[in-house]
Amino acid sequence: MSTTAPAGAPGSVIPVRRSQPRLAHAVSDSLAMAGRNIRRILRAPDQVMFTLISPIMFTLLFRYVFGGAISGLNGIGYATYLIPGIAVQTAIFSAGTTGFALADDLQKGFIDRLRSLPMARSAVLTGRVVADSMNNLIQVIILIAVGFAVGFRTHSVPGLVLGILLLLFFALSTSFIFALVGMSVSSVEAVNAATFPVVFPLTFASSAFVPTFTMPGWLRAFADHQPVSVLVNAVRSLVIGPIPKQARDQLFAGQSTTSLVLQSLGWSVLLMVVFGYLAVRKYRALTI
Amino acid sequence: MNSSAGAAVVADGLVKTFKGDVRALQGVSLSVPRGSVLGLLGPNGAGKTTCVSILTTLMRADEGYAEVDGVDVARNPEEVRRHIGLAGQFAAVDENLTGRENLILVGRLNHLARAEATRRADELLEQFGIADAGDRRAKTYSGGMRRRLDLGAALVAGPPILFLDEPTTGLDPRSRVELWRVIERLVADGTTLLLTTQYLEEADRLADRISVVDHGKVIAEGTSAELKARLGATVVEVRLADASAAETAERVLAGISEHAASRDGRIVRVTTAAGAALVPEVVRRLDAAGVTPTGLEVREPSLDDVFMELTGHAAEAEPAEPGAAGRDRGRGRRTDDPDAELATAAEGRDR
Repeated sequence: MSTTAPAGAPGSVIPVRRSQPRLAHAVSDSLAMAGRNIRRILRAPDQVMFTLISPIMFTLLFRYVFGGAISGLNGIGYATYLIPGIAVQTAIFSAGTTGFALADDLQKGFIDRLRSLPMARSAVLTGRVVADSMNNLIQVIILIAVGFAVGFRTHSVPGLVLGILLLLFFALSTSFIFALVGMSVSSVEAVNAATFPVVFPLTFASSAFVPTFTMPGWLRAFADHQPVSVLVNAVRSLVIGPIPKQARDQLFAGQSTTSLVLQSLGWSVLLMVVFGYLAVRKYRALTI
Repeated sequence: MNSSAGAAVVADGLVKTFKGDVRALQGVSLSVPRGSVLGLLGPNGAGKTTCVSILTTLMRADEGYAEVDGVDVARNPEEVRRHIGLAGQFAAVDENLTGRENLILVGRLNHLARAEATRRADELLEQFGIADAGDRRAKTYSGGMRRRLDLGAALVAGPPILFLDEPTTGLDPRSRVELWRVIERLVADGTTLLLTTQYLEEADRLADRISVVDHGKVIAEGTSAELKARLGATVVEVRLADASAAETAERVLAGISEHAASRDGRIVRVTTAAGAALVPEVVRRLDAAGVTPTGLEVREPSLDDVFMELTGHAAEAEPAEPGAAGRDRGRGRRTDDPDAELATAAEGRDR
């Protein structure tokens, strides 16, 4: 390669590549991509606000329209009960933007440019999920602030922080699912269309908004153990703190905080391994 | 034929079939000597983009061998990417970033140090005349500015070999000429360039050698002058009043030169190495047949003539020898005989 004449205007200095270990390249490439994606988010703050409008609306509607009618909370305020559910739903929807953005990049040919560069292949995906996790964090914080205004209270701050981390980790895992969708369908619109019919049933047939013990047996069996409920219950249990056994039986199907947290971590790891693998494989298939 | 030593880009017998048995490439071979410009000329769907995608590691060939700067494309794609710049058919810039940020991002992903990436971005913005718009988001750029930014992005790391896939498609004539000037300057500095285009004028202006591609095959190859010479040096074009007069003219002019006369509606073309000296004989024969032309033109053949001859008109040429069509497509019999080239083209057209 040293024998070839380089491009550039006369007198221009030919840029020198840094030589670094492979892993260092992968990290710096991921950061560069994440920086680009975050910049896009910051450039469109209206977009962040728009994606927050519906969860805030949900919070207010549920809190003030249904809140009074919902019983069986064992003395827990409905706002405190509700916010973990809304936060999880918001996080899952916003994980959908990963797929949305990847489909957009593919469609516009930007991914082709990236594929012709000597960058780490993984950085396209990791840069994406890092940026989207940041976006998620911002949204969850705003949502919790709104929650506090309508009566949400946490038993302990460390419990709340741990709950948020748990939620972000789960969102990270689900973003691989949407990444796979984003690379598999032909258009940005299709990603949207594919997101709703999956996310709505999963968040509504769960403990996100109402306790499950009034649901019919077959539905309750599903609603108590599906990953969205497990996560919501884990976050909720961390936020609420210790409660009597009978309340725990009704609200969390009798499961302890530790058990819920571990189950939720288990789901996140499982989803990340399976869909992370499938997403990377899909990306490679698109590449070489 | 194509593995000339020291060529910057070599492809040998590239075959690529897409889902649904779409045969995008049927054995493409080409070679781009260092510091030269090869134009891949062909209509939409000829296989130009597929060919570039394979050479730039975006796609893997089903069969065949390719190397770029001496590096095997299939075996070591990562290394190839350090030697190339690619600007594709669609300006692959991030619309939400400014021009400068786009270039810095590509610099970072090329593993330039941050300061170096910034310096290089400024240099390229200046070089391509978009320095004033450097801090504006790319979504506010005109089509021509976007293409220039895209080209700049391909050049960030100073690659010795550049691939441009239809760089001026969709641009207005003025932007096209501006981009040509930019490309000419790059080439003057010694960059090896492989360029695809649908525009004969573009290939004629920018390329040292031209490979004409149609239906996934190279149907002719040479310098612009060689391709023109293949048809004879001069074209005598006779325009007639109606089709029957044209038929008569075609008949009487049939044996007049070493090349066959061809008819296109009311126009009859004779290609000849004899130049304008053939004109009196043309007029004599037409006069003897009682045919009066409504127009007569003598001109150098354009690449359009070459292309029409190789692809369009070739469909009316003699069919390829029996049995050769179909199965053996893509194995491409290659000779220097232009008639054989025409026959190969006919095969491709017959599908």
